[in-house]
Parts: sequence; structure tokens; C-alpha cells
Amino acid sequence: MASVEKIYRLISSMKTGLVLLGLIGLMSAIGTGFRPNTFFQTSLFKLMLLLLFLNMGLCTLNQLIRCMKRSSKSWGKNRLRQAGLLLLHGGVVLILVGGTVNSYFGHSGELRIVEGNKVDVARVIPTEKPVLLRLDAFKIEFNADGSPSQYYSHVSILEGNKAKGNYRISVNHPLNYGGIKAYQQSFGYLVKVRGESATGEKVEKSLHEGEFLEIPGTERTVKVYKYIPNFAPNYGMDSKTLRPDNPRIVFSVYENGKLLGVGAAPWGKRIKIDNRIYVTFKGVQPFTVLKVKSDPGLPLAAAGGVMLVTGVCLAQCLAPVGKRGKQSASSERKLEPVGGIMDGLQ
Amino acid sequence: MTSFNPVFVYIALILYASASVCYFAGSKNRGVVRTAFVLSTAGFVFNLLALVNRAILTGRLPLANGCEFLLSFTWITVLMYLIYETRSKKKSAGGAVMLIATLLLLSVETLMSGQLDDVSPLLPALKSPWLTVHVLTAAAAYSGFTLAAGLALVQLRSTGLLPGEDMIYRIVAIAFAMLSLSIVLGAVWAEQAWGSYWSWDPKETWALITWIIYALYLHLHRQNGWKGKKASIMVIAGFVLVLFTFFGVNYLLSGLHSYALNPAMQTWSAQTS
Ligand code: HEM
Repeated sequence: MASVEKIYRLISSMKTGLVLLGLIGLMSAIGTGFRPNTFFQTSLFKLMLLLLFLNMGLCTLNQLIRCMKRSSKSWGKNRLRQAGLLLLHGGVVLILVGGTVNSYFGHSGELRIVEGNKVDVARVIPTEKPVLLRLDAFKIEFNADGSPSQYYSHVSILEGNKAKGNYRISVNHPLNYGGIKAYQQSFGYLVKVRGESATGEKVEKSLHEGEFLEIPGTERTVKVYKYIPNFAPNYGMDSKTLRPDNPRIVFSVYENGKLLGVGAAPWGKRIKIDNRIYVTFKGVQPFTVLKVKSDPGLPLAAAGGVMLVTGVCLAQCLAPVGKRGKQSASSERKLEPVGGIMDGLQ
Repeated sequence: MTSFNPVFVYIALILYASASVCYFAGSKNRGVVRTAFVLSTAGFVFNLLALVNRAILTGRLPLANGCEFLLSFTWITVLMYLIYETRSKKKSAGGAVMLIATLLLLSVETLMSGQLDDVSPLLPALKSPWLTVHVLTAAAAYSGFTLAAGLALVQLRSTGLLPGEDMIYRIVAIAFAMLSLSIVLGAVWAEQAWGSYWSWDPKETWALITWIIYALYLHLHRQNGWKGKKASIMVIAGFVLVLFTFFGVNYLLSGLHSYALNPAMQTWSAQTS
């Protein structure tokens, strides 16, 4: 029995907690330097967080129990400070729990939706019934200098065949629909191309950058290389701004895999690529990239964050140090023992 | 004012530097130290002018890029120091604090002078009220840690009685509350902008490491009675971490977070496919 108590004391003691905290700090510093992308997912690091959770959880619980036993006393400044410390430590514990819940039960992924199309959210997040997101329009709002001021995805949500409403997603303004959140993450364009064969046959396609258009009756193919919304000679293949002030399509023509030439075409121009074979770039069709996620741990982590912030302010702003630090913190503690996490747990 | 007037920063820098020299040189001479206070205050006013200039130029609070952050950070540090000196009547930390203020402004001039004139509108990701409070609390926290480090340097050099101990503890405690606030507000903002409140990017991680070292200090100071040399070294080490979190992460590590260069934000201009 004595050894159980010993172990309990060891894992719930402040000394252990501080050692863990120091180790976590040290490991994080080394981790960001050497393996910034993977270190924080390793089991070693997760184990450290688990130990910290255990330690602080027990420590805070003990403190809470002790505090409740003594709740008869009136709420002086010191009691408020004690409550602050409890909130603060409990907040850290809750944040750790929230993060763990998320890592086991949360989901997230990217959805790419072309204007006018719809995609089932279940591709990235398990849902009870199908929830479809339809992109009604993607718009960029520009500043006077042509730099982007905001990106908007206008979406509709469809459950089964029923429309559940229209929403506008933009950067810093995610959509929140029953635990599913969608964030404006990126965007891009498909290029609408038309090819005309020697017999007058027409093919029309929306192609991604890098894709080829094949036209019947010729060995030649056209590669949609890049869409440049605001072409300017001194910017080369980069767009001067994202605003479509001077749009060009950079394309290349191949014959049996061999590059014949490149060009930059404006919209609507009929370009001859072979004898009586033409290609016309007609415009772009935008697509949006949304980050979609569900995080059942978020409310816990958020509550923890609020507790942490409230607690730290209560505890520190009411730090029991005498007027402007004339009186030492330690002497104050001797004068008025702060019933604390301390008692019997060191 | 339609353009930035770099003279304000230069004048503030020279005034801070002279104040520092006077504080160091005049530790035995009351007149010189009084001059140092006047010089600091004058530098503080020019530092403020530089901030107001930026604010008018951009039409928002000067808290959105690296140089604005440094100007604010320096200004709040000097503000805190001036309040401290007026109330405590102690001047021994003046030399160190003003030297740090000088170096901070010097880094504005050398590392990010281009940003002083930059009036380009904010990126969509930065357009959030959370950004303002996040950066403001960070600047306040960093300033507190700077002042505490200045006082700790004096503690380290002096022998015998250490009257500044509790003052350092108090300042660190309040700055720690600010840093906690800043980190939580940053997490709230990241959740809204990127859909994840913590990503272990270098900036976040180093802010956490900084937070941890001060948490250790607060515990050890009160519970294990860490006073004097050990405590001072810890406060100074914390300040070095503060500097690394700002400069190191932005300039040494392949900065992910922050205003300087953020791939997550850069994708907005670079990615069209
Ligand atoms: C995760 C990071 C932690 C933070 C941010 C934190 C923060 C704080 C702060 C700010 C104080 C007040 C210090 C003061 O002014 O007296 C405090 C006190 C305390 N903490 Fe922590 N702490 C952390 C982890 C821990 C751990 C792991 C333990 C041990 C299990 C612990 C046990 C205590 C104890 C016993 C006190 C003293 C309460 C009192 O003064 O009555 N803390 N903590």
C-alpha cells in the first residue's frame, strides 16, 4: 500500500510536473529544429503530454477537493487567487483533453468544388446522411492596387434533395453547419477550350492547368500550360496581380510528344494549330478549395482556454505580493498560509 | 503625412542610445541620470510619432507587420520603464533597458526598413480583430519580459541585498498573464482563419517554450524559493527566448507563421491551380 501511495505522490507532485514541463519545452525546441513536421506526432511526445495531463489532472483534482472542503471561509483576495490558480491549471488540463479528443475523433480534409458542381462532405467527414456542398459562385474582391482583399465561396448546402440554405465562406469567416466547419483555403481555375477539327467537328472541354486537349483528325495536341489573369511582359510567367485585367492562356502545342511551340492567347481568339485545325480558349471556370473539418474536442479546448485566461488573470493580477513589491512573496505566504495545491503533495 | 518619415525612428534611436549612455555613465551623478530620463522621454515621444505616422499612413493600428510590431514593442517597453522609474525612483536598470530599446530600433532599420514605407493593404488572412488583440497582448508581454530582464541584469551584477526581486517577479507574473492571453487569442484567430487552433509551427512552438520557461520561473520562485542569481538567470534566459521567438523564428528558421513570409498566406497569391 505504501508503495502505491508513493507512486501516486510521484505522479501527482509538482516537482514531477515541473520536470515534465521542462522536458516538453526542451523536446519541443529540439523537435522544431530537426523534425518540424513529424516530431509532435511521435508517440514519445504524445506520451509526455499524457504524463503531463495525468500529473496536472491529479494535482488539480486534489487541489479542488481541498478547496471545496474549505469553502466555508469568505472570499477574500487570496481565495480569489486560489480560484484563479485552480482555473488556470484546470484549463491546461482541459486543453490537453480537447486536443486528444480531436486527434481521435476529429476529421479534416480538403474539398475541391468547381463552380456549379456539388460534392459530398462525407468524402472527408463521416456524416449520418449525405450533406452536399454546392459551389454557386467563387469571387475575389480586389483592392485598388489589384491585390486581393477577400475570397468568397458562395455555397448551398443540400441534404438529400432538400436545400438547407445558402452561405458565404471567406477567409476568417468559416461556415459552421452542425459541427461541420468549412474554411476558405485556396482556389483555382479550369480553362474552357474549344477545338475544331478539319471536318468541322467541335470538342469542348474544361481543363486543369497541365492537361491536354486532343482534336480528332490531327496528331497535334494542345497543352493548357497556365492561366495568367494579369499578363505583363516584365512579370514573365507570373501574373502581375490576381485581378483579370489582361488575361492570357499560356499554351503549348505538341506533335507525338514533341514540343512544337508555345504561345499566350487572349480569350476568344481562334488559333490555328494545324491545317484547318483550330483551338479557342473561351474563359475560365473557377473552383474553390475548402478545408472541411469536424472537431468534437473544440468545445473542451475552448472552455480550457477561457479557464486558463481567466485563471491566469485572477491569479496574477491578485498576486499576493505587498504594495509594489515592497513585501516579499515568501513572507506573505508565511503570514497567511495559502491553503494550496502544496499541502501534503510535495 | 502621405509617406513614412524615417527621421522619427532615427531620432528615437539616437535619443534612446544617448539615454543608455547617460544611465551607464552617470550612475554616480544625479544630474546626468536626470538627463537620461529626459532623453528617454524624448525618445519615447519620437517613437510614438513613428507609430502615429504608420497608423495614419495605413489607416489602421500599427500592429500588422514585423516593423510595426517592433516599434510598438519598443515603445511599450520604454513606457513601462518610465513608469517603473517614476514610481520606484530606481534608475539602475535604465542603461540596460535603453540599450535594448536602442538595439530593437536598430533592428527595425537594418532588418526591415523596407516595411516602414510599405502601405500595401492587409492580406485577407490578417483581416481580423483577433489579430489586433493577439499582437497587442504579445507586444505587452514581450515588453514586460524585457523590463524584467533589464532589472534581472542589475540584480546579477549587484551583490548583497536584492531589493528588486519581488518587483521582477511581479512584472514577470503580469507579462506571463499577457503572454497566456496572447497565445490563446492567437489560437482563436488561427481556428477562424485556418481551421486549426494549434499547428506546432515554429512560431507557436517557440512561444510555448517561452511560456513554459516563465511558468517554471513562477513556480520555482514561489515554491522552491528560487531567488537571487538563479532566478535572475532564468528571467534573462526567458528574454533570450522572447528574442528568439521573434527574430530567430522569422529570420533563422524557415519562418512559417508571422507577417514575414507565410506559405499558408502566400498560397493566396501564388496558387492558381
Ligand atoms: C502547464 C503549465 C503550468 C502553468 C502555466 C502553471 C502556472 C502556474 C502559475 C502562474 C502559478 C502561480 C505561481 C505563483 O504566482 O505562485 C502556479 C502555481 C502552482 N502550480 Fe502551476 N502551472 C503549470 C503546471 C503545473 C504543474 C504541472 C503542477 C504540478 C502538478 C503545478 C502546480 C502548481 C502549484 C502547486 C502551484 C502553487 C499554488 C499556490 O501558490 O498556492 N503547476 N502555476
